[in-house]
Amino acid sequence: MKPLNLLFVVITLGLLGFSTYQALFVAPTEQTMGEVQRIFYYHVPSAWVAGLCFFVNFLASVAYLVKRSSNADALAAASAEVGVVFCTIVLITGPIWGRPVWGIWWTWDARLTTTLVLWLIYVSYLILRRFASGSQTQTLAAVLAIFGFVDVPIVYMSIRWFRTQHPSPVIAGGANSGLDPIMLHAFFWNLLAFTCVGIILVMARYRLQKMENQVEAEHAELALQGGVR
Amino acid sequence: MTGAVALKAAYIVVWVILLGYVAYLVGRYRRVHEEMKDLKRSS
Repeated sequence: MKPLNLLFVVITLGLLGFSTYQALFVAPTEQTMGEVQRIFYYHVPSAWVAGLCFFVNFLASVAYLVKRSSNADALAAASAEVGVVFCTIVLITGPIWGRPVWGIWWTWDARLTTTLVLWLIYVSYLILRRFASGSQTQTLAAVLAIFGFVDVPIVYMSIRWFRTQHPSPVIAGGANSGLDPIMLHAFFWNLLAFTCVGIILVMARYRLQKMENQVEAEHAELALQGGVR
Repeated sequence: MTGAVALKAAYIVVWVILLGYVAYLVGRYRRVHEEMKDLKRSS
């Protein structure tokens, strides 16, 4: 690992420790929900990172269709996979938060349903990339990613467009929304830490994808030369 | 499920998923390195 990358990983680990401390011990306890509200400090940053990854996937897919660049395709694959990891965190921590507060694990409201659909879209994207064969796979995946990204703004706007079981937005949510300044402080530390984790994971997965592509190309070259054992 | 239990469960789940994904990536890195070594030997 390059020294600069190693430094970034070390800083991110420090940030994660500090932001978790802020979330668990510094931020005040929310009056209505109590301790369980602290899930917010992991739940919302995970949703942010998932959305960011799917946005990168969208841009990389457009770039692939325009330039046919293998680097753009590798970035699309990497960002989609990391996005699914963070979206999975959102879909698991949400019901764990909902059970003590709402009394139910799940309900088919707009935010929850569109998030589940988003997860299914990108899981199907990864399945397509993994199991489809032929020269058109990357093109099909890029097209699916572009159409799939339509769901991201729908997920974001769902709690603004519809009255849902899911709470209304507390950040950028209008006149009657907002967070205690200490809560907001803890939230932004977690947002920063999770964004750094997302960047590291996408970078690592991108590098892996490029190495796998290289191995695949070398296998194909050996096969053409008749050198396969 | 009480709030405190839910809080602990959620934080544990996040760390398990993130560390599990890192372990999965490390495993794939190892496999690719092995394949690269094999290719170098055979070429």
